[in-house]
Amino acid sequence: MGKAYVITSGKGGVGKTTSSANIGTSLAMLGKKVCLLDLDIGLRNLDVVLGLDNRIMYDIVDVAVGRAKLAQALVKDKRFDDLLYLLPAAQNTDKSALNQDQVKEIVDDLKPDFDYILIDCPAGIEQGFMNAIAGADSAIIVTTPEISAVRDADRVVGLLEQHPLQEQPRLIINRIRQHMMKDGSVMDVDEITHHLGVELLGIVLDDDAVITTSNKGEPIVLQAENPAGQGYRDIARRLIGESVPLMELKDEVKPTFWQKVGHWFKKS
Amino acid sequence: MQDAAVLKGTKDGYEIVLDENAGIEAIFSALKKLLNGLQAQTLSTKPQIISFDIDTGRRLWSAENRARIETIFADYADFSVHKITSNVITKEESARRLEQLSVHVIDKIIRNGQDERIQGDVLFLGKVHEGGKLLVSGNIYVLGEVSGIIQAGTPDFEDKMIIGDVHNAQQVRIGEQFEILDDTRHHIDGGTVIYVNDLHVLDYGKVEDLKQINPKFFNQIGGVING
Repeated sequence: MGKAYVITSGKGGVGKTTSSANIGTSLAMLGKKVCLLDLDIGLRNLDVVLGLDNRIMYDIVDVAVGRAKLAQALVKDKRFDDLLYLLPAAQNTDKSALNQDQVKEIVDDLKPDFDYILIDCPAGIEQGFMNAIAGADSAIIVTTPEISAVRDADRVVGLLEQHPLQEQPRLIINRIRQHMMKDGSVMDVDEITHHLGVELLGIVLDDDAVITTSNKGEPIVLQAENPAGQGYRDIARRLIGESVPLMELKDEVKPTFWQKVGHWFKKS
Repeated sequence: MQDAAVLKGTKDGYEIVLDENAGIEAIFSALKKLLNGLQAQTLSTKPQIISFDIDTGRRLWSAENRARIETIFADYADFSVHKITSNVITKEESARRLEQLSVHVIDKIIRNGQDERIQGDVLFLGKVHEGGKLLVSGNIYVLGEVSGIIQAGTPDFEDKMIIGDVHNAQQVRIGEQFEILDDTRHHIDGGTVIYVNDLHVLDYGKVEDLKQINPKFFNQIGGVING
């Protein structure tokens, strides 16, 4: 029987969809069977980030109203054998097209066949948010070190306290710029975690490659050396119950002269 | 047997006492009888409108029955009801008054977008995050962290106070007075008392000066500060 996590933040643009795609992919790389559920109806992106946008036949609204069977709407990611699936959002309607019972029913139908169901929540705290938490057993809250994102995360934690899920929510701090956190111009990891009073699940560093890989439809976790990918892989391992130490924030070391020279030769 | 409605004269005027043990219908007929008799008496004298206080004793009258009393009086041009009083209150009202008198210890996080409303005084040990509101009808003693909005004397009691360190708060409010702390330069620490002064303006004092700021409250707590 699988477990359903909703990935939410309140604020838009903090990396809910990127996090969903990368955590889902990492779990699949660890051999777990994963279904990603895009609930951002009308503004779907998860399919694009995964590079599956050209394979969509049916969507979640089709399943909810009975136009398609669940198995028909699931899109398989061929890179991971039989492990990673996506249930895409509808693009031609809006968040009110679904209700909480329908979402819950779909998630319950998926649970026997998957180890993990990750629900990508839309921004905001209206109907779409309520739908997304209706089917979930636990929540993963994504924030960035910006005050506005932390405020919205605080609001979401408050709402989750009013509608408690089976398990306590956990926190991901995304897009960390090490030098800004080091020099104190943004809240640091401990401050954010302590302020929100939510258990920390992991941190993810800001990296240009996250954007370039997302544009290509390849999750960043597929790059073994990338620190942001490492952050997401650590998060996935913590989700399956492994104990992984938190990544240390280091001062960015400027490359030495000889390293620069070496870099020129590598390129050519 | 005593009549179910009895006329009494008090120093404030006339009072009709309704027997708390009599049946409602018996009271209504007794009341009519009494008023008929009074009307017969007053007809001979110069007409003058008489207003009655009605005392229902240890019985609470429903709004419906109170309305029936009013309709009975409406038949008599010279008589009117001044007020209907009772010696007892409802359980809800008594619970509300008790709550109003008690001190509540609040130890929770009030998050962005949440309103916490409390009747009575509050000893606050928790946290109010930015965008959260703590709205209290009585006084507040703050030992926790306040980064949101804190209001004593909700909705309009200006004799209440906020004591404690609220220097991080977005707004402090007492009754209908409010202040945006960013706009003020008051020094606020653990020994600060925020109150509404005689000019109906929020003012900042020290807990040592509580005796001058609010003598009534000072006496109520026994006149002892810091031990």
